[in-house]
Amino acid sequence: MNSVFKQKKFKSQWLGKTITGLVLGLGLSFALVGLFAWIGADSLSQSLSNERLLWRTQFSMWLITPIWLLIFSFVYMFNSAKQAVLWLGSATLVVFIMLIVARGIS
Amino acid sequence: MKIRSDILRAYQYIHTWTGITAGLLLFIGFFAGAITMFAPHIDKWATPPTVHLPQVQSEQYDALIRAVFAKYPESQNDVKISFEQGHSPVTWYQQGNPRELRLDDQLWHASFNSTEELISHTRGINELSSLVDYLHRSAGLVGEVGHDHFGVYVLGVAAILYFLALVSGLILLLPSLTKSFFALRTNKGASRFWLDTHNLIGITSLPFHIVIAVTVIVFAFHDFFYAGLVKIYGDKPLFARQMPATVEFKVDNLPSLNEIMARAKVYAPDHQITEINLSRLNSKMPSASIQLVSDQHMLRGPKSDFLFMNPYTFEVTTSSITNGDQGIWGDIVTTMFGLHFGSYGGELGRWAYFIMGILGAVLFYTGNLLWIEKRRQQTLPVQSKSSRFMGKLTVGVAMGSILGVATSFALTKWIVLTSLNINQIYMWVYYSCFILTLLASFLFGMSQTAVVSQRLIAVLCLSLPATSLFALCLPSLSIWPANEFSSVVLELCAGVIGIIFWHMANKTKQRAYYGDQNSVWYVGDKNSTSSIKLSLSA
Repeated sequence: MNSVFKQKKFKSQWLGKTITGLVLGLGLSFALVGLFAWIGADSLSQSLSNERLLWRTQFSMWLITPIWLLIFSFVYMFNSAKQAVLWLGSATLVVFIMLIVARGIS
Repeated sequence: MKIRSDILRAYQYIHTWTGITAGLLLFIGFFAGAITMFAPHIDKWATPPTVHLPQVQSEQYDALIRAVFAKYPESQNDVKISFEQGHSPVTWYQQGNPRELRLDDQLWHASFNSTEELISHTRGINELSSLVDYLHRSAGLVGEVGHDHFGVYVLGVAAILYFLALVSGLILLLPSLTKSFFALRTNKGASRFWLDTHNLIGITSLPFHIVIAVTVIVFAFHDFFYAGLVKIYGDKPLFARQMPATVEFKVDNLPSLNEIMARAKVYAPDHQITEINLSRLNSKMPSASIQLVSDQHMLRGPKSDFLFMNPYTFEVTTSSITNGDQGIWGDIVTTMFGLHFGSYGGELGRWAYFIMGILGAVLFYTGNLLWIEKRRQQTLPVQSKSSRFMGKLTVGVAMGSILGVATSFALTKWIVLTSLNINQIYMWVYYSCFILTLLASFLFGMSQTAVVSQRLIAVLCLSLPATSLFALCLPSLSIWPANEFSSVVLELCAGVIGIIFWHMANKTKQRAYYGDQNSVWYVGDKNSTSSIKLSLSA
């Protein structure tokens, strides 16, 4: 297309991108929500009232879907499935490591 | 806004295929969901006036429930006290329970007569609104998986596709959004008109659709999400386990309803109490679930807000009204529920959601028609196999489902004249209408089926007000006419819908016999069948 920007050829790769969005999108979403549950406001390291915990956990559960679906919807923007796996995979890995660290220190 | 053409092409493809696969499921979910906005009104309309016993004075409730507890001890396990006019003051389940939909539920009703003696009877429950709600949540797909209906998970998957369709549709529209937002071009052919309609509805109701997609996915898959959170929480519990009391409570010590209500009023001063459910009264974990409504506040449940309390100690467990220690979280979560149920705007909000639900169904119907129009072969009289299949499926599913619901409504008052179980009849009627219309669409053609089923739906809808007129003229029939404002409005709306469907049938007929010949709708001129015969033999 636009040779000036050296754009790589866009590959559809429906199956690869769909599975990546479905699986890694969900993984990344869980990691982000988990991180927010451990270090966000009213985090798990604090002692919360039963009622506060009841709604905080429900909120975390609700947060998973919109994050997951936004990642899923935009996964097709990657030029290839390989690129999608690399980006989303490393993002998930990084956030999960942060989550484990956060859990460890709190 | 400029978007690379190869990405646009990719999202065009996603939009088409997610839409085509999920569209018909969502169609059923939306039109049935629109109807469930009026579930309480439907219950009122469909229940014979003799089922409910008269309400009592506010100071009589305490004496009434104690009389009920004494005579029917099983009611101590789960009893409902209602303060709503037209509803029995006290009810409890003889068979079944309020959390499960069963076709043979039997409900006890109790009240006082004029000399303060206990009167009671059992009646079956009319499940019409519950069955429409079941249709709304499962698209009518039967079967159970885990502790939920199979169809709920299918709609959950459909909602994921629906979200993808929304985002991809938005991406597709972005480049031309400012140019043709409000354009409704009628002079550029059917395809352009349907596309403009589809885009206009899609963009104007986008926030509503995003909320619906997200909430449906959460409703379907929350168990899986919680299971995942368990891993992330590690050794922390998701929820605090509620500690049972050390001693068992006894119903004899139950404080008066006035005391319980006063405590609820302290918690939620601006709300009115419509219902109190008392359960497990002789146990270590008794519960009072109090339903509250207010015109000034956003309601978070389908019909009302809730407050859970221990009826002996008045300890509030939690409430959807954030006056306790919910933090911001309670507000956000209950708002998501409220945005799905559309119960936050009073009667006006109900109507807005009804209309948006119907428009949603129109969105999916037009989406399917667009898919067909786009694949139209201009030079061939007979359209491709896939177009014809999709056309038949669209008409069969959409019209079959509406016809099933319309027939259920139309038969409601007449079946009460017989001794049949009305809820079982509803099931038979719905599924027969659905399957027969679908079969007819494939066997006799989509246009013919569309015309006939639209005419039938029109007649059935118009029969609702007609039945009331009939009942007024022939009181000996013991059919009850619409006797409340909401029931009259319901029947008038049915009449309007009937007229709309009659016009739709006329339009469909026009297109089938006199419209473009190279369309899936075309079935040839009645008078000169030669062209269709030719095309069939070709």
